[in-house]
Amino acid sequence: MRERTDVWQGTLSLMVLKTLQVLGPQHGYGIARRIEQTSEDLLSINDGTLYPVLLKLEQEGSIAAEWGVSDNNRKARFYRITNRGKKQLAREEHEWQQANAIIGRFARLRKDQA
Amino acid sequence: MRKLRTLWFRLLEAASRGRSESELSNEIAFHIQMRKEENIRAGMEPGEALRAARLRFGSVESVRESYRDQRGLPWIETTWADARYAVRMLRKSPGFTAVAVTMLALGIGINAAVFAIANAVLFKGFPFVYRNDRILYITTSSKGVYYPDFEDWRTQAESFAGMAIVRGVPRTLSGQGDAVETYFTAEISTDAFEVLGVRPILGRDFTPADGKPGAAPVLILRHDLWEQRFGKDPAIIGQTVRLNGIPTTVIGVMPQGFAFPEGQFLWTPPMPSPEALRRDTGYARFVFGRMADGATIQSARTEMEAIGRRLASAYPRTNRGVVPVVKNFNEFFIGENATALYKALWGAVGFVLLIACANLANLLLGRAAGRSREISIRAALGAGQWRIIRQLLVESLMLSSLGGIFGWWIAGAGVRVYALSQSSLDWTTHVLGYTMDYRVFVYIVAISVGTGILFGLAPAINLAKLDVNTALKSGGGAAGGTRVKRFSALLVAAEGAIVVVLLAGAGVMIRSFLNVSTADVGVKTANILTSSLNISLEKYPTAEAWIAFYESLEARLQTLPGVESAAIAEGGPSEAVPGSRYELAGDPVADERRTVPALVVDAGYFRTLGASMISGREFNDFDRASGIPVGIVNQRFASRNWPGENPIGKRLRLFRGEPDPAKGKPRNPHDDWLTVVGVVSNIVQNDPTLQNFDPLVYLPYRQRPGPYMFVFVRTRVPPGSLGNAFRRAAQAIDSDARVSVVMPLEERLHQVSSFAFQRNMSALLLVFAAIALLLATVGLYAVVAHSVSRRTREIGVRMAMGAASSDVFQLVLRQGIPPVGAGLAIGLAASFAVNRLLKAELVQVSPNDPTALFTASALLVWSATLGCLIPARRAMRVDPAVALRHE
Repeated sequence: MRERTDVWQGTLSLMVLKTLQVLGPQHGYGIARRIEQTSEDLLSINDGTLYPVLLKLEQEGSIAAEWGVSDNNRKARFYRITNRGKKQLAREEHEWQQANAIIGRFARLRKDQA
Repeated sequence: MRKLRTLWFRLLEAASRGRSESELSNEIAFHIQMRKEENIRAGMEPGEALRAARLRFGSVESVRESYRDQRGLPWIETTWADARYAVRMLRKSPGFTAVAVTMLALGIGINAAVFAIANAVLFKGFPFVYRNDRILYITTSSKGVYYPDFEDWRTQAESFAGMAIVRGVPRTLSGQGDAVETYFTAEISTDAFEVLGVRPILGRDFTPADGKPGAAPVLILRHDLWEQRFGKDPAIIGQTVRLNGIPTTVIGVMPQGFAFPEGQFLWTPPMPSPEALRRDTGYARFVFGRMADGATIQSARTEMEAIGRRLASAYPRTNRGVVPVVKNFNEFFIGENATALYKALWGAVGFVLLIACANLANLLLGRAAGRSREISIRAALGAGQWRIIRQLLVESLMLSSLGGIFGWWIAGAGVRVYALSQSSLDWTTHVLGYTMDYRVFVYIVAISVGTGILFGLAPAINLAKLDVNTALKSGGGAAGGTRVKRFSALLVAAEGAIVVVLLAGAGVMIRSFLNVSTADVGVKTANILTSSLNISLEKYPTAEAWIAFYESLEARLQTLPGVESAAIAEGGPSEAVPGSRYELAGDPVADERRTVPALVVDAGYFRTLGASMISGREFNDFDRASGIPVGIVNQRFASRNWPGENPIGKRLRLFRGEPDPAKGKPRNPHDDWLTVVGVVSNIVQNDPTLQNFDPLVYLPYRQRPGPYMFVFVRTRVPPGSLGNAFRRAAQAIDSDARVSVVMPLEERLHQVSSFAFQRNMSALLLVFAAIALLLATVGLYAVVAHSVSRRTREIGVRMAMGAASSDVFQLVLRQGIPPVGAGLAIGLAASFAVNRLLKAELVQVSPNDPTALFTASALLVWSATLGCLIPARRAMRVDPAVALRHE
């Protein structure tokens, strides 16, 4: 059970970092919305799952958080990606693409090629 | 790196827990609000929108939970929870807590006290000295260090960065306050304090110029003396006092607690007399030096021995066979025997602490039975083994910490008592700090934690391994069963063994002490006042003047009320007297190496001390320089040299100074033939254990006068009360006379003999052994009592089936006595080995003294029976009807 959460957290943190890099500082709800939109609602997870991931990234120094005011004038906590986070994102993106490529090759594997 | 950062972050958050919790709540509220508004925009009813938003968010609690796990340091927080729980548990059973903490405090306290003392004596070295371990002490294989040799060593030795010479001398101080007082002082090289790395707190250090011949005399004060005599007046610097009558300027005050090397009260630069500059006059007791960088004690030894050989070939007449002996602090001041003893003591208290641990382990195992239900419930609710062990360890650590805190007080008190009991007898008390310093603190923390784990671990593991199902089903539950019982028995046996070793050690030491304290030294020691006097050689240059001084002193003393008689001698009973080679008339095959101690006494000595003349006469006024040389021998000398003959009229001669044909020096007149005029009863001399009567020759003072004598006064009143009258009498004759060690002879004997050492050693061992015995008895009682209460039902059944109370009694004893018996056997065997450590200090008693071993065994068996008896009586009173209803 724990392994699966870890996998999710790993992928989720990649999504969070990418979102923050592309769109700039966002609050938690904003990040959740972006991920929904980007994944075209294919990814159905509870919004709450996001927060432990944000905390972990913050503790690792990949993102930083501070209180600010949202578009509709409410107090909200805004997250932004740090330099360390950008490096981590680049590394993880690369790893994912590699992994994807490998998995993709296996997916295309047919009997006659074996 | 990332881990470290996370840890730092968590630490920060642990500190600001409350805030981040509420922040998270705000954030979640914002999130849900936003989602709700979004839903409303999508056309939902407000109520439904909120519900959908919450659904979408998922469990707020589980987010919080995972946040909590991730934030802060759950490890510390659960430990904190354990600690609070432990406090509740301990408060719930105050009896157990009190017993446990008392045992631990005793064990830890005496451990730390002995550590503080051993640490001061064995490791710490002199206070204030920079890097004590780099200071070495050098003497020679002959009597002491000769000044020219020291100069050669200092210039030649490369293993030393600095080298200084010390010579302890008693001197009188007068001026600046009218009292004339004798102090133990030191002549010390001008750079000595520099070598030690200590600076005066007031005034200045010596400079090389202070040591040059003809320099103005200067002195540096010890802090205590500055305080007592000069009222801590800083204006004393630059003032002039009289030291042995010589005007001397005070230039500095050393820091409080500095009394290097042996409790000296003031220091002056060395002023070696022209005579002392010769290579054949012993000058100082020792030299010390700071090792140069890279030098070791071995390299220093090798080099000094080489220098010794060079000097021996350069000055064969004086230096042949003179080998420099290099020692470290421990070897030089404490010695091998005492070091072994301190270690033995340390071992003893270590054992006491082990007993306390064993007891607690047993107590906890006993309690474990009562707690197995609680632990099972915890385990059933999902607590891991490690979690349970940790919780129990926190409990035992809390006990041991409490023990450590109280132990600190006990140790402090113990060290103070010890220092007091030693202070009048041992210079180390003044010089080495017997204090509870940071080292003792670290030690006490370490042993507290160590014991907490030691006694807590076995019971904790035992409980954690509990089978949840059985424990929950059976009410009281047997935690561990036979395994625990066997472990308990093992602990009891170990305690028994340790107790026997300690009791046997204390036993032989006490017997040894009794031998010293009740020893008959051959004189009537009660009602004698002793003192030592030095008169100035400038004022009294001739033998006639010395004799006149002491005669008028004796005459004056005899007029004091309460005084019966007075006498003088070179040294008192049991004190060291150098031996002289001797030759008997008409005994041509005289053994070259045969020596006898010769003591100079006056006419009243034997009468005053209460020794009896066996035959012949005492010395009298006619035994003067112009009379024929006479001597008195003791019984031992007479029976050894003239067995079966009448010694009166026999002749012998002593070689107190060797003839020196090379220098054409005339034969020493002291080598004249003596005629024996009397035989006196034996008096102990040269033996700090006060046991042995050696052959002795006495010489009359008027034929062998000297300026430095001991005075003995037989009194009709308690001798201590005459001390001041005695000082006044001496100073009435000469205000510069140095009067020291005015005290009753009994006290003096305790001081010069090994009395105090023996007393303190046996008292300490006895206290430790008593504590150990008490702890072990309590421990055994706890084990047996617990097992009886567990077996109440069984006992009830047995009695209902017709068992007599004697059967029940035996049943209980069978539980307690066999492990004690095993412990006794092991302990006796071990004490054979351990007591050998004490051998060097034992006086007239074998290390395996049967009385001591027997008493130790009897005491253990007696207390073990006592420990079993109380629970056994309780078992015998069990009412079968009640017992069967029990549970």
